[in-house]
Amino acid sequence: MKPLLITVSLLSLMTAASFAQSDPPVEQPMATDSTMVASTPSITPPAPVSSLEAKDSPDDHGHSITLSWEPSADDGAGAATVTSYVIYHSTSPEGPFDSVGSAISGATTFTHSSAKESDAAGFLADYVDRYYRIDAVTADQTIRTPSSVVGPVQSSGQWYNDGRTPVAVAVAFFGLLSLFFLKRAKAGADLYVRPLGGIEAVDEAIGRATEMGKPILYVLGLGTASDISTIASFTILGRVAKRVAEYQTHLIVPCYDPIVMAVAQETVKAAYMDAGRPDDYKEDMVYFLTNSQFGYVGAVNGIMLRQLPATNVYMGKFYAESLLLAETGALAGSIQISGTDEVAQIPFFVVACDYTLIGEELYAASAYLGREPLLLGSLKAQDYAKAAVIICALLGALALNIAAASNATWGLTFKEFFKVTN
Amino acid sequence: MSRLAIIVTICVVVLFLGSWIFKALQAQDAGVDHYLLRGFLVTCSAFLTLAILSFLYKDNPIYKFAEHLYVGISAGYWMSQGFWSTIVGNLIPRLSQSLSGFFKQPYNAGEWMGGFFYTNWVFYVPVIFGVLLLMRLSSKYGWISRWALAFIVGTTAGLQFIRYMRSDFIEQISSTFVPLLVDWQGIGHFFSNLSLSATGQLVAMVSNWIIFLGVLCGLIYFFFSKEHTGLFGKASRFGIWILMVTFGASFGYTVMGRVSLLVGRITFLFRDWLGITS
Amino acid sequence: MKRQIPLVLVLIFGLFMVIQYFIPHESSEWIYEYLLDWITIIGVFALVLGIWSLFKVNYDKISQRKPDRGYSLVLLISLFATMFFGFFAKVDGSWGLHFSTADGLQSYMYRHAYEYIIRPIQSTIFSLLAFFIASAAYRAFRARNVLASLLLAAALIVMLRFNPYLGPLGDYISEAANWLLNVPNLAAKRAIVIGIGLGMVATALKVILGIERSYMGKG
Repeated sequence: MKPLLITVSLLSLMTAASFAQSDPPVEQPMATDSTMVASTPSITPPAPVSSLEAKDSPDDHGHSITLSWEPSADDGAGAATVTSYVIYHSTSPEGPFDSVGSAISGATTFTHSSAKESDAAGFLADYVDRYYRIDAVTADQTIRTPSSVVGPVQSSGQWYNDGRTPVAVAVAFFGLLSLFFLKRAKAGADLYVRPLGGIEAVDEAIGRATEMGKPILYVLGLGTASDISTIASFTILGRVAKRVAEYQTHLIVPCYDPIVMAVAQETVKAAYMDAGRPDDYKEDMVYFLTNSQFGYVGAVNGIMLRQLPATNVYMGKFYAESLLLAETGALAGSIQISGTDEVAQIPFFVVACDYTLIGEELYAASAYLGREPLLLGSLKAQDYAKAAVIICALLGALALNIAAASNATWGLTFKEFFKVTN
Repeated sequence: MSRLAIIVTICVVVLFLGSWIFKALQAQDAGVDHYLLRGFLVTCSAFLTLAILSFLYKDNPIYKFAEHLYVGISAGYWMSQGFWSTIVGNLIPRLSQSLSGFFKQPYNAGEWMGGFFYTNWVFYVPVIFGVLLLMRLSSKYGWISRWALAFIVGTTAGLQFIRYMRSDFIEQISSTFVPLLVDWQGIGHFFSNLSLSATGQLVAMVSNWIIFLGVLCGLIYFFFSKEHTGLFGKASRFGIWILMVTFGASFGYTVMGRVSLLVGRITFLFRDWLGITS
Repeated sequence: MKRQIPLVLVLIFGLFMVIQYFIPHESSEWIYEYLLDWITIIGVFALVLGIWSLFKVNYDKISQRKPDRGYSLVLLISLFATMFFGFFAKVDGSWGLHFSTADGLQSYMYRHAYEYIIRPIQSTIFSLLAFFIASAAYRAFRARNVLASLLLAAALIVMLRFNPYLGPLGDYISEAANWLLNVPNLAAKRAIVIGIGLGMVATALKVILGIERSYMGKG
């Protein structure tokens, strides 16, 4: 067997070599659907693309095939310069092949895909054998050389997205860290948190409102119940409402979103029950205004000037209205405490409010106000995660700089660990 | 009503009527259909603009009127908008062929998945949740609405958890890896091109150090479980300085944009309403 | 029933949303899209709650003869008038339900309400910001501590960056302003964003695990 095999391969090699010396042969098209051969013998058609491969696109929902190839030898050079590649597709190796798109010269990949709805244009069903061919096309569209046909290949959806592994690691890391500290908190460990200006001010401000016999205005911002900052704000509202109930001050909570209103009603009602004053809770403390940003601002500004609240608390998501609200409140002479995670709005609150919880402090505030061990536990987890970020940043910068100084590329490998693709 | 209030009211009414007539005549000359209505509407928008601007002086009945009008109209507007776009546009075509015919919407027949599951069935779920939510209006069964709230809060908490884990945590870590050293090519090269906007080596290096230390110290400022004293306190102090400089820069950056908004409104008053400038 | 079912719902849907992120398969994507649709649809049902609340608060003001009841009446009339025109319109000479077409709702009145009332008021309130930002800057001026001064100095540098009257000094200022916006700004924003990310992630986790339940009336 063996000698025979060697002879055959030698023979074929020799034939190939002799072909290579003569003019490159024009590959005969496998399909009959289009004319791909140069009609005039005076112009040499370009070399075809080589190493054409078709694969199911990775980490996706299916309905997509990725093609890759080595450009034609005449790409960007040669007598018959290739200006584009036209991609042909068929469900049978014999054709007919249909054009499904093109790539400019120099390109080496193409994705043939469709939406996942079965009535979408050019729908690509999964688990169907597909065949591809690429034509190297010159400026004169008729002068082109097809590649050999590749296939069969099938598209399919994956059940795990490899490119997102760093996120999975982060979820596991943070989840375990949180669980660890929650457990410690439950076991009664003494968890220290440093005092935070804005938080101390909340109690003070409620006291002042009581003394003056004026209401407290709590603004939840423009967030919906889908925004985590609004959820954090509900917790703070709960604490504020409880104090308000204890001091028997009046609370005003105008809302921008009806679901936020529903939740805020539940929160305030429960706070009054907790404080042992369920009868003091009134339906009209928490009410809806309008779903329009500036309509809401106009109405809340009106409340500030007419009911003259002693304290305005802004917690949650805010956009351009932050300054309109906070300035009106400041002009009306109220004590103002704010907190938001909208980075662009923090400066306005900082300028116009007495205390501002910046970014993460908003999320920490609920733990501070409640002093509940479980909430404090999760604050510890946040701090350790920040420490991890700092360590990673130090290590990463170190690796990058040492590697750069020694002209090595491994410094970038560390960066790859954190790279989320797709 | 005080005398002043009566005078002001009369003035406002007279001005309004005057503007209405004037704008209507103008529209008639221009050959606009419904010129009376057009004159009324343009006058309305001008008066409402002035009413809102009057808030700058102090709270007053005209502002109050505009504010209440606006709250009512915008709430009604978004209500109808939600009904037509979501209920009629998205829900009804999935639930009933005759109803979608009535609302002139194309019926979406859905499909059977695997022969046992009809895709349109899933659209009954939000209806059920929606009805549960409306149970809030009943004092006895109000607690049931929490099921709907729990669904919304749970779904979005999961969504945001994973979204921010990626964008605000993982992806931010690797961007703090910046080159802190320079490729040494002699002292002259190092100190050349000292302008802040240029890419001289010294400037680039100092900037990168500020970015790097700024991020670290900023994070240290947000540490809750350690007293900010000693070296840690100094780092935290530097962190809050960087934050404040940033807030200032961001504040200054917004000013110009806000002024142009005001210019836009003033242009409306003078050009579109009074026709003074063109 | 009252407490357990909501917690179970939160846990199930919260975990699903986390897990689906790692599953690119279309079955997971379908469910994800349906869930988002559901939230939008439930949101419209919630609008009924909002309108009811708005109605009740203002109706009470009127029936209790509160001093500002006239304005409440204005609010209710405009609310119901807009809703009426949002559903009914004079189409082809007769009144009836009006329908949504490719260019939006047909109702003439409804579109005018937007064009001539909502839009001018909206942009005027927005433009008030120009005055408010000035008074806020003045407030920052008066604050005499290190932090406020830093803020003000940075604000001034950035505000003066396009000022043509400063001559050669203007070039330095605009260079400094660009540096401020590119360097310290980047550092601070990144620190804030990482902090916010962690705060959000921690809060969301507490919600999913049922530790944080203020949203259903238990802090």
